[in-house]
Amino acid sequence: MLRALSRCHAPVVRLLSPRTAVMVETVRGRKSRTEPKAKSKAGRIKTPPPVDPVEMIVLKERYTEYNLILRALRLEFKEQMLRKKYEEEVGSVAEERAKREAEEHRSLMALNDAENLRIHKIREQRMLKEAEAAELKKREAAILRQQELEDYIKEKERQILQLQEEAKDFITPDNLDQRIEEALDNPKNYNFAIDKEGRVVKRTAFQQ
Amino acid sequence: MPMKGRFPILRTLEYLQKGEVVFKKSVKIMTVNYNTHGDLSEGARKFVFFNIPQIQYKNPWVQIMMFKNMTPSPFLRFYLDDGEQVLVDVEGKDHKEITNHVKTILGKSDKVLEAEALAKMELSNPANFGPKKYFLRECISEVEGQVPHPGFVPLPKEMTGKYKAKLAANSDE
Repeated sequence: MLRALSRCHAPVVRLLSPRTAVMVETVRGRKSRTEPKAKSKAGRIKTPPPVDPVEMIVLKERYTEYNLILRALRLEFKEQMLRKKYEEEVGSVAEERAKREAEEHRSLMALNDAENLRIHKIREQRMLKEAEAAELKKREAAILRQQELEDYIKEKERQILQLQEEAKDFITPDNLDQRIEEALDNPKNYNFAIDKEGRVVKRTAFQQ
Repeated sequence: MPMKGRFPILRTLEYLQKGEVVFKKSVKIMTVNYNTHGDLSEGARKFVFFNIPQIQYKNPWVQIMMFKNMTPSPFLRFYLDDGEQVLVDVEGKDHKEITNHVKTILGKSDKVLEAEALAKMELSNPANFGPKKYFLRECISEVEGQVPHPGFVPLPKEMTGKYKAKLAANSDE
């Protein structure tokens, strides 16, 4: 439908013939320029509809008035819309909106800052706890090291004392003869068996 | 084509369109600083993985950058067009909490979004006829229940003009 209308080049005949002549032209329509007129339309004389001059004058006046009023209304509404749009974008409404939005933005930023502060406090506490734990660990490690050092020293001292004890029984060039005599006098018997616990189980008789 | 990645649902249009955060016009850049390891950045990591695609889909003109392992504690930073920088601490927060917080401070509220959607709907009236590209229908004959176009379905004889003219001629005689 729309397509048919868009193809129509000639202006549509006005309802009442306007100022001068009839503005009807041949409409191309379905056929091309070379095709002849249809046989049924051979003797057709197209006449425009008859016009009553008195009626035409009256109608024309009424129509001009009507068009005037309608056009005025349309332009009025258009101006209203444009004004509203202008106010919204540039005028007082926009300023109020901007102010309101700035207010909201400030309050939201305050909210955000409060939130950040809260998390900051939590973080501080966590840091303190961690610092304390680290301090504790360090002290304990120091104590442990101290302990180990002392143990080591004690162990070494014990060993030295034991060595001193054993040194008393050492064979020196002085008591060499004496010790030889002793060894020859007390023969030792190494023929014995032990069980798994280390206790002596059996002793065989001493044979020289 | 098989699904790609650990969470292929993150690549679906449906998931992206479900994003809630639409930034205000003044937000231009968003920066996320977080760590790849550590308990405190867990929420930030999930936020980056699950919610950033939605945010970027809804705000295609906002630049979003991620910085990894440069900070002891994770945070978000927004750069507005008047030079203001908004810092949001996200240490220890859950990704849902982060989204909600961001939506509250810098996102458009639900009311505003609804108003915008309404304004957009007003532009295209479904009652208008015109080219198929912009409107629903081109001609009333396309609507079900109306008289179809004679080009597709011939009219019944009684409605054609020549039949009516013949009737008129016969009755005149």
